Amino acid sequence: MNQYKAVNWNTPENDYAGMFWEQNLRQFWVDTEYIPSKDIDSWKSLTPEIQQAYKRALGGLTLLDTLQSHTGMPKLLDHIDGLQNKAVLSFMCMMEAIHAKSYSTIFTTVNSTAEINELFEWVESNKLLQFKAATIDKYYRNLDANKVSNETLFMGLAASVLLESFLFYSGFFMPLWLAGQGQMVASADIIKKIVADESIHGVFVGLLAQDVYKKLPNPEKCKEELVKLLMELYENELKYTDELYTEVGLTADVKEYVRYNANKAMMNLGFEELFEVKAVNSIVLNGLNVDTTQHDFFSKKSTNYEKSMEVVYLRDEDFQVEAEPVF
Amino acid sequence: MVTKKWILLNNEIMVKNDDEFSLHKDKEAVRSYFLDYVNKNTVFFYTLKEKIDYLIEQEYYIDFYQWYSFEQMEEVYDLVYAKKFRFQSFMSAFKFFQSYALRDDSGEKFLERYEDRVVAVSLFLGRGDVPQAKQYAEMLINQEYQPATPTFLNSGKKRSGELVSCFLDEIGDNLNGIGYAIDSAMKLSSIGGGVSFNISKVRARGESIKDVEGRAGGVLPIMKILEDTFSYANQLGQRPGAGAVYLNVFHTDIEEFLDCKKINVDEKVRIKSLSIGVIVPDKFMELAEKDEACYLFYPHTVYKQYGKYLDELDMDEMYEELVTNPLVKKKKINARHLMVKIAQTQKESGYPYLFFKGNANKGHALKEIGNIKFSNLCTEIMQVSEVSDIEIYGKEDQIRYGISCNLGSLNIATVMENKRVKEAVSTAMRSLTIVSDITNIAMVPSVQKANKELHSVGLGAMNLHGFLTKNFIMYESKEALDFCNVFFMMVNFYSIQSSMEIARERKETFVGFAESEYANGNYFAQYLSKDIAPVNDKIAALFEGMEIPTVADWTALMNEVKVHGLYHAYRLAIAPNQSTSYIMNATASVMPVVDVIEVREYGDSTTYYPMPYLDNDNYFFYKSAYDMDQKNVLRLISVIQKHVDQGISTILHTNTKDSTRDIAKYYIYAHKMGLKSLYYTRTRKASIDECVSCSV
Repeated sequence: MNQYKAVNWNTPENDYAGMFWEQNLRQFWVDTEYIPSKDIDSWKSLTPEIQQAYKRALGGLTLLDTLQSHTGMPKLLDHIDGLQNKAVLSFMCMMEAIHAKSYSTIFTTVNSTAEINELFEWVESNKLLQFKAATIDKYYRNLDANKVSNETLFMGLAASVLLESFLFYSGFFMPLWLAGQGQMVASADIIKKIVADESIHGVFVGLLAQDVYKKLPNPEKCKEELVKLLMELYENELKYTDELYTEVGLTADVKEYVRYNANKAMMNLGFEELFEVKAVNSIVLNGLNVDTTQHDFFSKKSTNYEKSMEVVYLRDEDFQVEAEPVF
Repeated sequence: MVTKKWILLNNEIMVKNDDEFSLHKDKEAVRSYFLDYVNKNTVFFYTLKEKIDYLIEQEYYIDFYQWYSFEQMEEVYDLVYAKKFRFQSFMSAFKFFQSYALRDDSGEKFLERYEDRVVAVSLFLGRGDVPQAKQYAEMLINQEYQPATPTFLNSGKKRSGELVSCFLDEIGDNLNGIGYAIDSAMKLSSIGGGVSFNISKVRARGESIKDVEGRAGGVLPIMKILEDTFSYANQLGQRPGAGAVYLNVFHTDIEEFLDCKKINVDEKVRIKSLSIGVIVPDKFMELAEKDEACYLFYPHTVYKQYGKYLDELDMDEMYEELVTNPLVKKKKINARHLMVKIAQTQKESGYPYLFFKGNANKGHALKEIGNIKFSNLCTEIMQVSEVSDIEIYGKEDQIRYGISCNLGSLNIATVMENKRVKEAVSTAMRSLTIVSDITNIAMVPSVQKANKELHSVGLGAMNLHGFLTKNFIMYESKEALDFCNVFFMMVNFYSIQSSMEIARERKETFVGFAESEYANGNYFAQYLSKDIAPVNDKIAALFEGMEIPTVADWTALMNEVKVHGLYHAYRLAIAPNQSTSYIMNATASVMPVVDVIEVREYGDSTTYYPMPYLDNDNYFFYKSAYDMDQKNVLRLISVIQKHVDQGISTILHTNTKDSTRDIAKYYIYAHKMGLKSLYYTRTRKASIDECVSCSV
């Protein structure tokens, strides 16, 4: 008979699960906190080409987040050791669902129903985008079995990291680039929250992958397969970038950015960089920096606030402060 | 749309070489911004005459010829252009052209440079007095004083909004009163005003209406309506309207009020864009300190018992009475827990503001006329207010004081370096007075009445941290306290002197002067026992060449005030000034900076802003506010507060690891140090890198 275990948070399973749980919780947000309707005027001022690229970028992101929340995270957490790790993954899974919904919050605010339907049709029919999803999904589906080898598990985790740390960014480029130049700024608040989440997801799953990698009898073989997979996705990503960004003249910048993030994904998995990257567009790079920024409370909502975790009550001595006159 | 070169250059500041930011890129960004954008998009005129005439004929400017000859105007232009003004940072130039420079009707071409705006403001406020206009012009082009945005933006323009941007009013506890408030909110918001309301008089959820229990909806539904009102009545789509509401902490809706900012809460009760503030009487702090049971009161039952509104009662005196009166309905809570709840809400949203009612009223010079009951959107305006009685059609309303305030800020660095504290304060007071004179908000009679009778203004200051850094003084040091004590005493002195002179010239004081603490001399007590002068040599050196008022000067001033009165009921208030400090290449207000290069996100742009005068030598003096002990900041503010009749926008900077208890302890400290308010709380996130590197 199976022995069922309850998750015991009182005993740390490893030195990072608790920390990632806390960080996830702190970063928690829902799309409806934000007010993309402020961007309606900005949206109308954009050229049709930019509007199209923006919509499609978000459409593509929606697909990836859907895959991640419906398949990726549930499959991975089924095979990962450690109940706390599983808990962290399930939290991340929920956030992926919120992400997938929140892109809609943006485009349902600025677009008509007809445009929205057209966009979803595009997502379903675009070969390059479908290729991304299918390629990643293949590795997730390998996890369908009850028990899987460490190789299969590692590749599943690695595919997830590639999705989170690499494939997302051709889509993020557009909203970050626009926001840096004062367009679609309220919507970018949502995008920045997603970027902040994806960045910890990539790091966490990367750490899990590294743990599995250490147990592999023949790690080099797996690494080879990983690089092959990455290159395959990279080729596809270049074509996808051409399709999305050629008309708005950003192709070269986005490709540089794609390479930059491919390197990040490799680093999250504990490997060296693959591509030589020259200068990445500073506007987008700065937009990525999720450190605290200053903002004007009256004109926008901040992305800095987090759920407060440390609720500690006051004691008598807290009132014994000296307030003697300074002069 | 191609990437804009100047924005890219500005972003490239952040690229690090040998551990140093690429600061020179900012100068390149300014250059590119002018060469590649501003100059190409500025309308060219062959002569000054052609320019002035065109602007007047095309109805961009008002007809300045009603006050000045062309030659007189030319003198002012010459004076200003001779100063060879240059923007010191990209942010300054960008902010000016983005938000302030006059554009043609298509919105594409600039009609003004910085110098032109300065002249237009000066001519407009000068109203035909050429020497006066020149004084304004000199002060503005020297960047010694910066009028608040609406004044700087709208002065001299034919088609423009109002010159004043800050309004406050009470909401009465009946449909007429609530309707009046919403109507005022809409009108004031449409002309560019930020409006703050005191909703403490409104009956709580579940109270009786026409003596039928359980019918009242409480304050939340009104907040919801106000929020929608502000978002509807924006300023011709240029920027969203802004509003705030304040609730007394003893009002039974207080918990619901705080919950409206929660991250995860039902849409019907969630407030996204309306700012909120809590009015905290001393009694509440006392109950928290003693950890005694704390009762919240149902305001309508209080009114029915005493014929007075809950928030007008002196809680020190009346609290016990309210507790023992069985007919006053109440709710028992724990004061410490409520404080922690406030802290928790601040951590999650930055709100609420705190208004320490006792401190605000302690030195209130108009205490015989009325109480200060709440504050504004930036928590620096603190004036008497009283709810108006609004009647049905056909019956006459009883209009009482709302609040209207117009603001401006001294640039501490330039007035100190030019040794012109006295001149700048006096000229600034005159320019603020003109703004009050020509402002007439007839559409909201309570605000109109206050402006007409009280002539309140709010002179503030900016660039404190910049000035200290330039002089290698740490913000948290004793020297900084010493400097602020002397500097703001001087500002206080010269603003009173200027107000007295204006009263003498016009033979008119604010209504109620005779009953004020100025008239009986009580206000001056803190200056009459001992000279305030620098105690530190380094600080004394900074003041060299300027006279520092002594006890004798103060005594003389007090006597002159007794004879001639004061023109302004309220004079000083230190605003947070965000946009305007960028134009001045100054650090904002009297707050410490948050970073050596600030990332500013506005609704319409992201810009990198190296702090003024930043170089490798003074880098160290720009310690981030997030790294400071907030008590040091609060102590400095308490020193300034002694010399400021209204309030100071004070921001708490906290880190993710700070607990609600840590934050609540700042409230306790701020309250004990005599601060009148706390503006919002900012939180710096622990970065993800930091987390991983700490534990993996």
